[in-house]
Amino acid sequence: MVDEISDFEILELAVRELAIEKGLFTAEDHRVFSEWNDARSPAAGSRMVAKAWTDPAYKSRVFADPLAASKEVGVDWAEPTGFGTTSDYMHLTVLEDTPTVHHVIVCTLCSCYPRPLLGHSPYWYRAPNYRRRIVRWPRQVLAEFGLILPPEVELRVEDSNAKSRFMVLPVRPAGTEGWTEEQLAEIVTRDCMIGIALPRPGRTSDGPRPIHKASRPVHSGGRPKEAAQ
Amino acid sequence: MNGESVGIHEQTEGQYVDLRRVALLESIRSEEQTWDKLAPRWCVAEPAPPWKVCLDATCDCLSAGGALDNLERRHAEDELEAVYSAIPNPERQLLTLAHIMLSRGLVTEEELARRISAVRTRLEAV
Repeated sequence: MVDEISDFEILELAVRELAIEKGLFTAEDHRVFSEWNDARSPAAGSRMVAKAWTDPAYKSRVFADPLAASKEVGVDWAEPTGFGTTSDYMHLTVLEDTPTVHHVIVCTLCSCYPRPLLGHSPYWYRAPNYRRRIVRWPRQVLAEFGLILPPEVELRVEDSNAKSRFMVLPVRPAGTEGWTEEQLAEIVTRDCMIGIALPRPGRTSDGPRPIHKASRPVHSGGRPKEAAQ
Repeated sequence: MNGESVGIHEQTEGQYVDLRRVALLESIRSEEQTWDKLAPRWCVAEPAPPWKVCLDATCDCLSAGGALDNLERRHAEDELEAVYSAIPNPERQLLTLAHIMLSRGLVTEEELARRISAVRTRLEAV
């Protein structure tokens, strides 16, 4: 915990209080936006990918005008976004994976991330460990996430910056023929759109955790009798 | 901006914001107080300061309420990049927001100075 009050913390509060006092918005407005912002998820990105997989015309629009294509899945990059750096809206590129080319995204400078589509970035995306190493040893870092790509698959790492955001459009996996957009969206998890995982039928972000039973479990003898009463 | 070369003179007139430096904000922009410096001093690994979510909400509220459109604010942020280039985000985002609000007359420098002083007294009260 930082047990020190900075000038910036004070300035943030001063600006907010004055805006409320002058009627530019209310304290309740501010609370609602904060709660909404904290609850952002990658659901819009998943819908975008699923729609692109099932609708070739939409897929063309995703590459030609990604911001307009975002609007079609309910995300307006200009209003409001919950942005961090300047000009989040300025430039979005959707990177198309093929059977022979795989993309992965990073922000080597800080933590730029396509938040309007993917919500907040995972902690490791913001850590120097990932940011420094994914550009130098991409195959090894992907393997640490459990993604081992064959050598014949070309790997491209795209580096974000204050003006550019990227998102990966993975290859639609086999075994999903005839699926609806909703079904497809469920398997397009956040990590698939960053590029550190591949979508797979049956694997969703809220699926069962890969927990293994202990081979030599410790028997405690159960709960004490008094606690059970 | 009219696209003409400004030569050695500092540009003061942006399309979206007055680029002249603000004395009050100049007095605040200490690099030593940015989260990049503060967090390691306290052995904190969190990449963003706790007030960042409040700042984002303030920007969204200002835009939703019609006081300061997000798109215009971002254009103004781009114009102010040179003024606050030494300060990292999100502190730069905060300074530029205050700068834009002052420049557009949403608050005055005196009001902000008084409020900063009052908030400091409140937060540092023991």
